[in-house]
Amino acid sequence: MKYQQIDQFAAGLAREKRAAVYDGSKAGYDSRYKALFTHYTAPDELRHLAGEIKQHAIENLDTYLPQVEAKLQENGAKVHWAADAREACEAVLKIMRDRGATKMVKAKTMVSEEIELAHFLEKEGVECLETDLGEFIVQIDHDHPSHIVKPIIHKNRREIATSFEKNGLGEYNDDPGTITRRARQYLRHKYLAADVALTGANFLSAESGRMVLVTNEGNSRFCLAATKVHIALIGIEKIVARDRDLAVLLNLLGRSGTGQQLTSYTEFITGPKSAAQPDGPEEMHVIFVDNGRTDVLESDCREILRCIRCGACLNVCPVYRQASGHAYRAVYPGPVGAVLSPLLAGKKFPEMADLPKASTLCGACNEVCPVNIPIPDLLLRLRDKGKQAGSAAASAATPPMGGYAILATQPAAWKAALSMGGIINAVPTPLLPQAAKTWVETRGLPPWRGGQFRKWMKQRKKS
Amino acid sequence: MSASSREAILNRVRAALTPLPRRAAYPEFGDNVATMPAFDREADRWTAFSERQKLVNGMPMVGATALATWLRENGHLRGYCDPTLWAELAPAFGPEFSVSTDYDRAQVDEYAFGITRAAGAIAETGSIILNDSTTSRRLGALTPWVHAAVLRRENIYSDVAAAIAALGKDTNIIFCTGPSKTADVEGILIEGVHGPGVQIALLID
Amino acid sequence: MSPHERHRPNGKRVQLMATCLCDAFFDDAAAATVEVLEYLGCEIAFPEAQTCCGQPAFNGGDWKASRKVVRHTVKTFAGEEPVVVPSGSCAAMMFHGALLEFEKEPDLPQVAQLASRTWELADFIVNGLGVTKWPGRYEATVAFHRSCHSRGTASGPAALTLLGSIEGLKVAPFGEGEQCCGFGGTFSVAFPTISQAMGNLKLDHVLATQPDEIVSADMSCLMHMGGLAAKGGRPVKTRHIAQILRDSLKNASATAR
Repeated sequence: MKYQQIDQFAAGLAREKRAAVYDGSKAGYDSRYKALFTHYTAPDELRHLAGEIKQHAIENLDTYLPQVEAKLQENGAKVHWAADAREACEAVLKIMRDRGATKMVKAKTMVSEEIELAHFLEKEGVECLETDLGEFIVQIDHDHPSHIVKPIIHKNRREIATSFEKNGLGEYNDDPGTITRRARQYLRHKYLAADVALTGANFLSAESGRMVLVTNEGNSRFCLAATKVHIALIGIEKIVARDRDLAVLLNLLGRSGTGQQLTSYTEFITGPKSAAQPDGPEEMHVIFVDNGRTDVLESDCREILRCIRCGACLNVCPVYRQASGHAYRAVYPGPVGAVLSPLLAGKKFPEMADLPKASTLCGACNEVCPVNIPIPDLLLRLRDKGKQAGSAAASAATPPMGGYAILATQPAAWKAALSMGGIINAVPTPLLPQAAKTWVETRGLPPWRGGQFRKWMKQRKKS
Repeated sequence: MSASSREAILNRVRAALTPLPRRAAYPEFGDNVATMPAFDREADRWTAFSERQKLVNGMPMVGATALATWLRENGHLRGYCDPTLWAELAPAFGPEFSVSTDYDRAQVDEYAFGITRAAGAIAETGSIILNDSTTSRRLGALTPWVHAAVLRRENIYSDVAAAIAALGKDTNIIFCTGPSKTADVEGILIEGVHGPGVQIALLID
Repeated sequence: MSPHERHRPNGKRVQLMATCLCDAFFDDAAAATVEVLEYLGCEIAFPEAQTCCGQPAFNGGDWKASRKVVRHTVKTFAGEEPVVVPSGSCAAMMFHGALLEFEKEPDLPQVAQLASRTWELADFIVNGLGVTKWPGRYEATVAFHRSCHSRGTASGPAALTLLGSIEGLKVAPFGEGEQCCGFGGTFSVAFPTISQAMGNLKLDHVLATQPDEIVSADMSCLMHMGGLAAKGGRPVKTRHIAQILRDSLKNASATAR
């Protein structure tokens, strides 16, 4: 392969799409910055604290998982466990089948994307409707989300208006207000007719068994007001130790994701609805999903499990901005995806091992991360792992380093190469011809002056 | 499936964590570490709440008459009201209003407004708090275009941390910070997606 | 990247790591570094056996190869003196990257010992030697590119302190200053489309302020930006911060004469 896959994807990206992704992510970055830095005097201290809170929870999952399970059961929820995507999908299906349920409304959850739940349920004859506006549009378009919090960042209003028209949601109209109103009208009747609501969880407190769900649109609230059965798919890394941790994390999540103090709807759920309340689920099921997370926990990249899915690292990432989310070939795009997707890929790791290469290691992702994940360090560790796994995807267009290491450990050979460079006058020291060719095709190369400094230094010492 | 998967997952978790030479400790931090430093926690709660709620496009309001007037002026004449509130509010509403105290799912498109009790509010963020024991109907507070949450002055918490500390035993609690909103289409803010397009906090003393 | 714990220099003996890029292309940046350090009274040792910090292989994912180079570097720069590097990137490799790839190696302590006395040039001048006002004169409007490997370290603020103190010199802020230039080592040739797009965006922002030159603590970023600008028909002068500091001193002595 001439260049890395993500670069090739970026090269083929339509100008309009690139502009949409670039503008959308930059706007996300700007609002985050404004919120954090006008509201706090030391936002970095808060990020570090949030990172410690999550790291503590992750490194004590052996205590907290059984603890939260007991709390949930005490609160009246049923707890299920799913080791992989297949088990998670089947657990959902079984709950539905046991109740003769055929209609599901779902709020946005990354885990459900990960296990391809909608696809699975549809094959089983269950209607599974996305209710988040962006996810709904992705669903009727048979597309994929390209951003964690802005699923249709890659689409413009004209494309959306066209697919609304095609799907019988009114005549062509590309006014965002009209599009939203039509979705509101269509979806509310779907909620009311549905049997089961499926959500994820943003956090789950081991102390109380309280799960927290945040949305801006209110779709998860509608799911939990209209239906009688609630299924929550929860990745095992969503646990925090105590309720008080939530104040720190929620304050950072809204600001980091969308520049809001708090997301519009922040819902705390400990179980089925109370007896006096006419609306809401009479049953609550929690499905704990592993699906590769324990592999991540075992790896030296376990810090990535701190991630609270705010999307700030996507917004700031210069590579994401140029390549778009679909370039990452997985549910999680951007810097977090470049770490998480290969780790969650299991045996398919070598196929995804090029993702960690898609970074200049500029560190902007770490700087904005609300839980201070050292993403560049993790990308580097995965590059080493990719090399050891002999991944062809990872090594594409990357100059081999064996010769470089020989030169750079033998001063005489190094000096000889410096003077020989003058003859070739086009090969940068550590790089091999193909790489040099790419360089000079796109960028001017300064004149080779190998060894000149050493000569100057010697002269100076003499004088 | 579930029982064996449970053991399998927990075993894997233990296997992953046991080799760690030490585990990350629970960090020490004060309860108000994430409260905005410039936010005055001693300020009059309703005043502070009103200011912050306006910033998130919410509408603070005082007294039943103000609410009735606003609804009338904006043509929202049909609605739902918590039966335990209606006796108190009804005198402010004229005969032009049609108010039901029994929410009917089949009438979802007919309710222009919903009036329910708020369990509390958060001054720092301008959020109103609803929970299962004080909200008469989850749907009544969600599906109408206008939601008015009736608030008592003494139930306003100063900040998010205080509101979380006071969550208590209720099975379902929700912080509503401004109206329902989306920016999914080209990043343009549109209010009133699935929930209310207008979120009113109505103070009644 | 977080600021690393550095041992304060005692005395003015330093070792210079010129970096492979200066060794191959940018001899004047290295020479300027020497002149600046000498002006500050430093006694400079230049270990002849030096080659490279090991970063190309480290970033490229070949840690085994990189560790060989780091071990050579550790051996070459033995001693107690501060090692001054005219590159934020190479310095970060030595005080951060090397530690990462030696986490499970028996010779981690030796690598850590070198890390604790490695300084990027501007950081060394300001925070090592305590110099915050730079003498002389330099008539120019410059755009300062804070290279990404100095993100979160003391190097960026140190460079701005020095540049901002030079008489006649104006630092022009530009849009999206925190964004990367798109170089990224082997990234630049494995992801040429994205690398160029990032570089051009950076140039758009920088050139909008019409600077006389782009200044940075890293020749790698400058080589990329300068090369891209030249190829794109909008050439721009690029200079290492050491060259600015050295020339400012020259201008001072010229005035005195």
